[in-house]
Amino acid sequence: MLAETQSGRHRAAALCAIASLMSVGGFARADDVDSWHEIETKYIFGFTTGSGIGLEGEKEFTTDTKGRFGKRDGRYNATETKYEFEFTPSQFIQIEFGALGSTHDIAGVTDLDDRKQVAFAGGFAEFRYLAIERTSSNPLAVTLAIEPTVRVIDETSGEHVHNYELETMVNADLELVRNRLYAAFNLLYEPEYTQTLTNESIREATFGGSAALSLRLAPGLLIGAEAWYLRHYDDFGLSAFTGDAVMVGPTLYLQFTPKMFMTAAWNSQVWGREVGNALPLNLAEFQRHRARLKFAWEF
Amino acid sequence: MSLATDMTRKLSFAAVCAAAMLAASALQAQQAVQIQVTYSNGQFQPNQVSALADKPIVFRIKNLDGKAMEFESKSLRVEKVIAAKSEGVVNVRALKAGRYEFYDDFNEKARGALTVQ
Repeated sequence: MLAETQSGRHRAAALCAIASLMSVGGFARADDVDSWHEIETKYIFGFTTGSGIGLEGEKEFTTDTKGRFGKRDGRYNATETKYEFEFTPSQFIQIEFGALGSTHDIAGVTDLDDRKQVAFAGGFAEFRYLAIERTSSNPLAVTLAIEPTVRVIDETSGEHVHNYELETMVNADLELVRNRLYAAFNLLYEPEYTQTLTNESIREATFGGSAALSLRLAPGLLIGAEAWYLRHYDDFGLSAFTGDAVMVGPTLYLQFTPKMFMTAAWNSQVWGREVGNALPLNLAEFQRHRARLKFAWEF
Repeated sequence: MSLATDMTRKLSFAAVCAAAMLAASALQAQQAVQIQVTYSNGQFQPNQVSALADKPIVFRIKNLDGKAMEFESKSLRVEKVIAAKSEGVVNVRALKAGRYEFYDDFNEKARGALTVQ
């Protein structure tokens, strides 16, 4: 009875929240929306990346923290933060580079050592090329991105390693309703090679994609939702499949000033499987929840 | 063939290539469409401009106001701060047909649009 009452309250609260968001959205009339400036789409979809590459001559400093929470047992909290400088040298190319910092708080997780640490984790660079540009008659834009990363701390376990990763992505987005509603699609292939301190070498790859929707409620405020499907392999050639997972969750983009914004996202694993394990969810290669919080200053 | 002769040939070839690239870029600059816009009393004048498709564009923005402005456009993918009482030049790639908005990022009310046909 108590459970039913609580469930009813949760449903009512969810309906109220949706109604509130829809009414907030309703405040922006069509004529208001027409007067809004166009928006840069790169960061409005949470973990999903939009096609934006910035403006020629623009420079930006960002801190981008991604947290991973929850394994099958014990306590698992890990974060990795990018301290990133990005600039746009031409109207088709964007370049980013920076350093990585990580934190790990692990206790009682099967196959992982207990650990509580804060560390310098490595460095990365990213190159983005705008392959298809949006115009007033073409709502689709597509950007190709590659991001080589070198780590000295393993993302999952926090162990000292030599890790080389090459994230390759297709970032596509569509303006569904002018200045108001956007959709995005990402395609990801991420091979990585790791050498442990005991000289064990590991080849693995992640392959997958995402879809996201983002609604602009006010000129500097967007909310949305995204879904990711990720597959993990123990080789580069995508033949040694070890498991997959589906993650879904809400997204938020908030612009404080014309030169300063933040983006936040929360994803929870709603479905997953591990090869050779009948338990629900894939908590060997992925996590129960992940979060993203990014602040950016343009100059 | 001696090493010196081979090196001279390679350098000559590089010089010819560089000269050809310079000539091509000068030709492209000549073909670029020039658009003059003035900025005064917090407004663009004219605020509606047009150009032909598939030709590079050079915006010359004369800021007549007593404070700096930032010429910016998400769809043109350019931004440039132009100091008070000075002129700024913004080069834009060859564009497809469409409407491209621009504005002063320091002044919400100053807006304009480029129509490419």
